Amino acid sequence: MANPMQQFEVKTIGPKIVFGNFDVSFTNSSLFMVITVATISILFTLATQKKSLVPSRIQFLSEMTYEFVAKMISETAGSKARPFFPFVLTLFLFILFCNMIGMIPYSFTVTSHIIVTFALAAFVFIGVTIVGFAKHGLGFLKLFVPSGAPAILLPLIIIIEIVSYLSRPISLSVRLFANMMAGHAVLKVFGGFVVSLGVIGGWLPLGFSVALTGLEFLVAFLQAYVFAILSCIYLNDALNLH
Amino acid sequence: MEIKEIKEKVKKLKDELKSKELKKEGSSSMGIALKMGTEFVAAVFVASFIGFHVDKWLQTTPIFIIIFFIIGSVAGILNVVRSSKMINKD
Repeated sequence: MANPMQQFEVKTIGPKIVFGNFDVSFTNSSLFMVITVATISILFTLATQKKSLVPSRIQFLSEMTYEFVAKMISETAGSKARPFFPFVLTLFLFILFCNMIGMIPYSFTVTSHIIVTFALAAFVFIGVTIVGFAKHGLGFLKLFVPSGAPAILLPLIIIIEIVSYLSRPISLSVRLFANMMAGHAVLKVFGGFVVSLGVIGGWLPLGFSVALTGLEFLVAFLQAYVFAILSCIYLNDALNLH
Repeated sequence: MEIKEIKEKVKKLKDELKSKELKKEGSSSMGIALKMGTEFVAAVFVASFIGFHVDKWLQTTPIFIIIFFIIGSVAGILNVVRSSKMINKD
């Protein structure tokens, strides 16, 4: 039977390119990232080609996406976060399209690799920290000192707060990666059951496969949404110190 | 007379929509559970990682990893409490 983890293998496409100690060859993962970016660009270029007052379907879709993300930012991070709208929209669309393109049979799910999700999360984390320091200077360190804490406990509390802050990129990246990888592995396992149980017993796992595919589409959207909204919440912490 | 009836109907429908929306948000309890889990584990992981490297640096092998493991657990509980507060607020 086919190995359920085989679908996550990264294969090199074309010649092997090495920069110093790093292997930077073009892989199937990079190919699907390029496909994702190209799909988003083409879709939104087409959508904004004919701007009419009564929108066509594709224009309506892009306007809906825009409004969805704009609303998400203003609700969680307030009006001060407006300048970061392009970043959050890009992040949301990239993850959403990676997840959705991964649902096509025989394709590759970029977000099922922790290094990809961790890179995204680390980018958000470092960016938010820089924004915080740029906005408040050293006053940003007040984030680690909760108001009203007794002075004796402060050293301990500060360490705990710092650990809690540092754990953000880990939890952010592990959540997306675990959801995508687990979902795809489970789909493959149930697919394997269908084949091995044959015509007689295979109907039950086939039904499960269909139901799980539906669930996976939900998870694909939900995880992109969660990633984007948590980025907004972290941005809110950096912009408006509480 | 008729306008009043229509207004009442609109109010009723709006209330219904609100309660439906609330139900929708509360339905993904599996997602919430998974969120809490990663939230807790991530803090323990980060703290233990720091403890391990402090030990390696000062050559005091078990002491700091134990201390930071406990700190990590506390930070993990703090994370879980904070995110559950956020869920309750919505």
